[in-house]
Amino acid sequence: MPANFKLITADRFIDGTGKQPIEKAAVLVENDVIRAVGPASSVKAPDGAQVEKIDYKGATLLPGLVDCHVHMNGIGDGRPGDELVKLPDEILTLQSARNARAHLYNGVTTLRDCGGKNRTIFHLREAVRMGITPAPRMVVAGRPMAIVGGHLNWFGIAATGRDECIAAVRQLVKEGADFIKITATGGSTGTSIRTKPSFNPDELKAIIDEAHKFGRHTVAHCVSTQGMINVLDAGVDTIVHAIHQEAGGEFKYRPDITERIAKQGVFVNPTLSIVKKNMDNIEAKVDAGTATRAEQASLDESKIAFEAMVNGFQRMRKGGVTIVCGSDTAWLDSPMGRFQQEIEAEVDAGMTPMEAIVSATRDSAKSLWMEDSIGTVETGKKADLVVIKGDPSKNIKNIWSVEDVFLAGHRVDRGNFV
Amino acid sequence: MPANTASPDTFLLIKAGRLIDGVSDKVIPNGAVLAKDNKIVAAGPASSVQAPEGASVEVLDYPGKTLMPGMVDCHTHHNGFGDGRPGDSLADIPDEILALQSARNARASLFTGVTTIRENGPKAYTMLRLRDAVNAGITQAPRTVLCGWPVSIIGGHMWFFGGQVTGENEIRGMVRRLIKDGADYIKVTATGGTTATSYPLLPSFNVDELTALTRTAHDLGKLTAAHCSSETGITNALDAGIDMIIHCMFRQPDGTNRFSEKIAERIAKQGAYVNPTLHVQRSTPWALEEKKRDRSLTKQEQQKLDHMWQSYEWSMEDSRRMVGMGLKIITGSDSSWTDYKLGNAVYEVEQLVDIGFTNMNAVKSVTLDAARALNMDKLVGSLEPGKEADMIIVDGDPSKDVKTLWNVNEVFLAGKRVERGSDGSRAVFHQSPP
Repeated sequence: MPANFKLITADRFIDGTGKQPIEKAAVLVENDVIRAVGPASSVKAPDGAQVEKIDYKGATLLPGLVDCHVHMNGIGDGRPGDELVKLPDEILTLQSARNARAHLYNGVTTLRDCGGKNRTIFHLREAVRMGITPAPRMVVAGRPMAIVGGHLNWFGIAATGRDECIAAVRQLVKEGADFIKITATGGSTGTSIRTKPSFNPDELKAIIDEAHKFGRHTVAHCVSTQGMINVLDAGVDTIVHAIHQEAGGEFKYRPDITERIAKQGVFVNPTLSIVKKNMDNIEAKVDAGTATRAEQASLDESKIAFEAMVNGFQRMRKGGVTIVCGSDTAWLDSPMGRFQQEIEAEVDAGMTPMEAIVSATRDSAKSLWMEDSIGTVETGKKADLVVIKGDPSKNIKNIWSVEDVFLAGHRVDRGNFV
Repeated sequence: MPANTASPDTFLLIKAGRLIDGVSDKVIPNGAVLAKDNKIVAAGPASSVQAPEGASVEVLDYPGKTLMPGMVDCHTHHNGFGDGRPGDSLADIPDEILALQSARNARASLFTGVTTIRENGPKAYTMLRLRDAVNAGITQAPRTVLCGWPVSIIGGHMWFFGGQVTGENEIRGMVRRLIKDGADYIKVTATGGTTATSYPLLPSFNVDELTALTRTAHDLGKLTAAHCSSETGITNALDAGIDMIIHCMFRQPDGTNRFSEKIAERIAKQGAYVNPTLHVQRSTPWALEEKKRDRSLTKQEQQKLDHMWQSYEWSMEDSRRMVGMGLKIITGSDSSWTDYKLGNAVYEVEQLVDIGFTNMNAVKSVTLDAARALNMDKLVGSLEPGKEADMIIVDGDPSKDVKTLWNVNEVFLAGKRVERGSDGSRAVFHQSPP
C-alpha cells in the first residue's frame, strides 16, 4: 500500500496526558498511525511524500474519546432492562448498530460494551468486520456474568458455583469476549437485590482468575458496599458505579475501601450522569404531576444515592483512585451518542475540564488495557482523533461541538447512514 | 429517520418541471403534488393544485426536474450481498448479521428511489424483524411487502431459509404460520434454482401441494408468487392458480429451451403477472467478463460464462415474445442475488425497454403496474389523491429515457422527505457492463 500521509493542523492541541494545550499544533498521520505530534512548525511529512493537509481553524484536536461503559443494546427511552430484553435479538442487533454509529459520529472512537443479550454484540462486531456497518473500536463482554436472578441475568448467563463460572468465562472467550463483565451486586433487574452481593467470593475468584488466565480484564458492577469488598478480594480490574451502600440501605462512605482500590490500582467508573439524568427526569415528572407512586417514592432515595455517589467520587479522587469515564448509555433514559454528558458530569462533580478530558481518553484507555495503542495523541499510537470547535479545556461544554472524527487515520463520514 | 419537513397542520406542495403521475401516458409540464401528512391531496398541473386558502404550506420547487411516484421493486433479497456468493453460504450467516445487512440494503433501496419492495426470500425472521425495527424508529426502509420466508420442498430452492414442507397439510400449516407471523404474501419455489441440492430444470412441489398453498393463501386474502426456472414449474403453478410467475423460463428437463406460445397464452388468460428478472441473469456474466479482463478464465468458468450468456439470450427472447403477446410483465430486480446488488433497480427497468417496452411503459412497470401486481395500487404506485405520498424527484425525463431514473435527487416516503445523509451514504455500487 502506498504511504498515505495526513497533516492535520488546528488552533490548539490536547494530547490527553494532562499537559497544557499546545497552540498551533500539528499531527502527522501515516495510514492508521500517528507519526509525529507538536507545534505546526516542527511537524513535517517526509520529503516527496503525498500529503493530505487538513486545517481546523478555531478548533482543538484531541484524542478520540473512549467511553469505557456502554450498553449498545439499549434504546435509552427509559424502558427498564427487564423490558428491553424481550425484544428479539435481530432488533437488538439493529439497535446496537445504530448506537455504535451515534457514538462514533459524536466523537467516541473506542467503546467498551458492558453486556448485551445473547450473541447480539458479538454479531455486531462480526458485521463491522464484514463492512456492513461502521462502529468505533469495540471492546466487548458479549454477555454479562450474573447469578440466577441476578442483575442482567436475562442477557444469557446465570451461573452458579465455580465450575459453571469458569465454563461461562471460557464460553465467552471462545465467542470473542475481550473482557469479562460481572454483576457483583443486584441492580435495576427486578429479581435482583441492589443492596446485596450476588456471587460468593469463591465464584468471583474463579471468574476473575479464569479471565486473567486468558489475558482478559474484568469489570464489576457494584451498587452496594459488600460487592465492592468481594471483588477487591477477588482481584477485579474496574469497579463500576462504586456506590457505598450498606446491606441495611444506609449510604456510608468507607475510606478503607478507597484505600484498597487505590492500592490495588483498580479503576473506578462512577456513571454519574445516567443516575443524575434519571433522577432529573423523575423530578420533572413529579413537578408536572405525572409521576407514578413508585417514581415519587424513589425520588428521595435517588437524591440521597446521587449525593453519596458525588461524595464518593470526590473522596476517592482525593484518595488517589483513577476515575475513568463511562456513560452507561443507552441504559435507562440516556440514549447513545451523548458520551459528553458523563464528561460534563465529572466536571460538575469537581474535576477540571482537563482532568475530565484525561479521564475520558487516556485513563479510560488504561482501564481497557489499551493505553499502548489509543487514549493519547502520541507518536506510534493509532490515529484516533476528534476535532472540537472551541477550547474544551476552558469550557467543557465545547466538548459537545464535534467537527470531525478520525478513526485509525480515516476521516469518519458522519453523514453516512449506511 | 425521514426528516419531518412539515408540522402536522402544514401542507406540503411539491412543484416540478414535469409530473409523471403513473396513470396518464402524458407527462404534465409544470406539475405539482399537494400532500398532507402521509397522503396525497391533489396532483396535476401546478396551476390547478393549491392548498386551501389560509392553510400553512411548505413549498418545494424542482424546476427542470421530474416528479413521479416512488419506485416499486417487486422482487428483492435484502439479506444478500450481491458479491457472487451463493444462497447456500448466505444462509450460514447468523440471523442478526443478516438483519444488519438487510438494514443496509433497505437504505440502498430507499435512497435510490425505491419506496416499496416485495421481498422474495430472506432467512427466517430477518425481514419481519427489520420491519418491526423500522416501526420502532430504529432504522429506515421502504415499505415492505414480506413473505416471511419462501416455501420449498426438502432440499428445494432456498430450503435453507426455513420453509421446507411436504404434502398438503404441512403446506397449509406453513402458509398459516407465515401469515400469523406477518407475511403479506406467500412465495413458493415451484422448481429448483441455484440452491446446490435443488434441480432448476425440474418441478419441486406437486400440483396438489401447490394448490393447497394458493388456496390457503387466497382464503386468507394473500397473493402468491412462484419461482419457476423451468417449464413444468410454470404449468404446475398455473394449474394451482398462482398470481405471479417469477423468472418464467421455458427450460426443458434436458437443458434446452422451448418457448411455448400455448403456455404464454394460458398465463395471459389466467391474468398472472410475469416477473422476468432479466438483469440478474446477466449480472454474473458481467462479473465473469470483468474477471476475464484481469486474467484468463478457467475452463469451468468459461463454460459457465458461455452457458449463462446462452441462457440469458433465451430469457430475453422469450420475454420479448411475452411482451409482444401483451402479458402483464412487471419490474422486479431479484437483487441482491448472485452478482446483482440492491440500489440498482434501474438495470431491470432498462431491460424491460430492451425487450420492447416504451420508456413510459417501463416507468409504469416499476410504479403503478408493479403496485397492481402486489395488490397495493390503492395505496401506492401513482400520484393520485388519497394515495400515500411516496414520490421521487428525478433529473431528466424518464418517459423519454429510463436511464434518467439513475439520477434520483430526492425521495419522499409517506409525505416525509427522506434524509439520505452524505454522498457516501447515498453511494451505491454499480456493476459496469463488460
